[in-house]
Amino acid sequence: MNRRRFFHCAGSVAALAAAAGCIGSDGLGGDPDDADDETDDGIDDDRQVTPDLPEIEDPPDAVYVPTHREAMRMLEPIEAGEYTLAPMLSYPHPFWLVDGRETERVDPDGGPAVHLMFSLWDDETGIVLPVDAGAQIRVEQNGQQVGSPRTPWPMISQEMGFHFGDNVPLDGDGTYTVEVTLPPIGVRKTGALEDRFTETETATFEFTYDEDFRQEVIGGIDYLDEEHWGERGAIEPMEHGHGAHGDDEHGDHHGDGDDDHGDHDDHHGDGDDDHGDHDDHHGDGDDDHGDHDDHSDHGHVPYSSLPPAEDYSGTLLGEPETGDATLVISLLEGDTRLTDGTEPYLLVSPRTPYNRVPLADMALSATIDRDGEELATFDLEQTLDDEYDLHYGAETGLDDAELEPGDTVTITVESPPQVSRHRGYETAFLEMPAVEVEIPEEVSE
Amino acid sequence: MSLPDRTGLSRREYLRAVVAVGGASALSACVAENGETDVPGGTDDPDSLPSRQHAWNDALSTDDDGNVQLPEHHVLLALSLVEDGAPTDEDRETVETSLRTLERAYEWSNEGLVFTIGYTPAYFDRVGSLATETVDLPEPTALTTREDPEPDDFDALLHLASDHAEVVLRAEEALFGDVADVNGVDVDADLSSIFERLDDQRRTGFVGPGLPADHTDTSGVPEEVPEDAPFFMGFRSGFRANQATEDRATITEGPFEGGTTQHVSSMDIQLETWFTQDSHRQRIAKMFSPEHVDEELVGEIGERLSTSSGVTDERIEATAEDARTRGVVGHAQKAARAREDGQPLLLRRDFNTVDGDRPGLHFLSLQREIEEFVRVREAMTGSDLAGNGVGGVLNNGILQYIFVNRRGNYLVPPRSLRALPPGDPA
Repeated sequence: MNRRRFFHCAGSVAALAAAAGCIGSDGLGGDPDDADDETDDGIDDDRQVTPDLPEIEDPPDAVYVPTHREAMRMLEPIEAGEYTLAPMLSYPHPFWLVDGRETERVDPDGGPAVHLMFSLWDDETGIVLPVDAGAQIRVEQNGQQVGSPRTPWPMISQEMGFHFGDNVPLDGDGTYTVEVTLPPIGVRKTGALEDRFTETETATFEFTYDEDFRQEVIGGIDYLDEEHWGERGAIEPMEHGHGAHGDDEHGDHHGDGDDDHGDHDDHHGDGDDDHGDHDDHHGDGDDDHGDHDDHSDHGHVPYSSLPPAEDYSGTLLGEPETGDATLVISLLEGDTRLTDGTEPYLLVSPRTPYNRVPLADMALSATIDRDGEELATFDLEQTLDDEYDLHYGAETGLDDAELEPGDTVTITVESPPQVSRHRGYETAFLEMPAVEVEIPEEVSE
Repeated sequence: MSLPDRTGLSRREYLRAVVAVGGASALSACVAENGETDVPGGTDDPDSLPSRQHAWNDALSTDDDGNVQLPEHHVLLALSLVEDGAPTDEDRETVETSLRTLERAYEWSNEGLVFTIGYTPAYFDRVGSLATETVDLPEPTALTTREDPEPDDFDALLHLASDHAEVVLRAEEALFGDVADVNGVDVDADLSSIFERLDDQRRTGFVGPGLPADHTDTSGVPEEVPEDAPFFMGFRSGFRANQATEDRATITEGPFEGGTTQHVSSMDIQLETWFTQDSHRQRIAKMFSPEHVDEELVGEIGERLSTSSGVTDERIEATAEDARTRGVVGHAQKAARAREDGQPLLLRRDFNTVDGDRPGLHFLSLQREIEEFVRVREAMTGSDLAGNGVGGVLNNGILQYIFVNRRGNYLVPPRSLRALPPGDPA
């Protein structure tokens, strides 16, 4: 119906052209014959709605460095009951849906739209809440609803970590009001989060979509050095609250660019150093992750970074990788806070490499074997805890038996994280073979 | 609401828009468009009609697979009693006469007119409590944590359905005394002294191949709605194996024996996400089951399904396992977990709408007890599956795409008690 016009910024000059204001469709294609058309929605097609982002051919089946850092407009965080919500707006861009082990790329259609995102965290603990409870958004302009209500996708991105987002079509330039409805969070909650998030809350914010906005977010795209595109690695979390772009440091990314990706520990180690200037966001987690209070101050938006492995109490059984995710596996004994009974609690915390973003909406199960004989097999339940954040856990289910050194624990990924992915995460965390760890000689209490 | 601009609309779109407007001008516009439709007349012998108001199936057409086809055009009229206090016998006679006028005017069929009138808990509060030992008619409430529905707290709801736009419009005019005759039958009594129509609650809709695709000019209806799809979500529905029989949906004892209960919920549907973001494969997995994708059971719009949605006992059993191992579960397999002895509990007569100029669904189902509907809805919500491979809504059937705005519960009495029934006719 509305055929829109696209210029093509092909090949290696794409970055330059896009930065210079080329109109594009991000690989959607289009018909150059339409070049003189105007759409009937009041948007002059000479305006740039979507940047023409370069594509990376054949990215690795792993987390990789994208071509650019996304630019966005940060709006003031809004309090809603127990939550604070930080809306962010960018140009519409591709993302990937996941069902099972399949992905489906979503491309913007070239019409006026924003990529609307929000981070959601708990005021009390500062924990970003990385679970899908079915939030809803309703967009209005001048009191008229624009489009149908929608449930934004739970998503992960290297810059924003876990957030909710979607490409939201608009009716053209103007001021829009967005109402966000946050239903109760139904997943298992423990510790200080138990019995919390049981009410529906709403938050409302406004934004203006106009040429200034488009120039700001499209012009603000920060292209990385092309030699790093598609390398294994990740760009650093954005500097929330300090402006989404414009400083000189955000071109940095983790990862060393070589093919030896086998040792994530190096990357985490690097990350700790690199993040020196990000302390307010997650660097302090390394020392004292239990204290999230800093996060909710100063209008900062906390980043959904899980504690590093060494911060988990109990016995660290290992940090194996699968599908480029790291699974921090810990056995908690003598801590019955997370269990009903007296058996040890097996905690598995899957996260992205480099930025330690939690991987939600997975299905994990565990099997315990001794000398090749199965002792127990059980499902792990997705759980939110104020100390351990998002993890999957269960009592070991050994009844009267005790775990012994040499017993093996196999974690099977029945389904990988179903959360949608921004660029650089879409090829990772899909094929995730089972991992095995062993009960060590000494189990700490 | 004013009449739609005729230009740029197909005949079908225009008629549909005219039904949505309603009233005398809409009726005139409809006749101007179509000419007077030759509609089969009704009967002067009320005893020749079924004793159940909801006995529609034998009077409706069927598709090539033998599934009952709902009429194309639907109107739901929300009615509020004009006078406070319990209705009199005279009021009852007026209502009955008015409804009989429609039965005399139109054949009881999709070519003519089928209709029901149902009453809310609010109505029974007003006229005297319902005989609860035989019918449990709860107030409508939110059934999920994601909704905060307005309750239908008026008194009654008339559901008019016909293949002809002119018939539903003229029937409504006849019921409210705005025409002197209807299909050659004089209108001697009307409802206007008894009921007030709540115009802001007037709901309309449509069913039939191609009808949803006619609405791609409506905001929120993408062009990707398949050309032949009978419903907005793009797939056939209403397979006879997945519908409760009228017997199963009928109250079997007590004074309202032969009646049924009706749940009506009105919701927005997010079609842009459904059609432009999800793939066909994902739509099939989320609507039916992941196995429907593997086995290619569905086709483009469900044409490979004949008399059943293809949800087998095995697939229903596997719902929780599919969530964990496939990362997605289907709406149909989830909801079917509420079946009793393998039999569906609900007789769905829902239809799509563009009321409010956006895509939606007026979900209307008949069942013996409202509690059965609630059970099916809980199974469909699938909160037991959330966090076990699927999210609260993510990949959890079609929850992500539906937004419930209203809910209403009704008793649809047997025909003999349809006119302003007392709470305890015994």
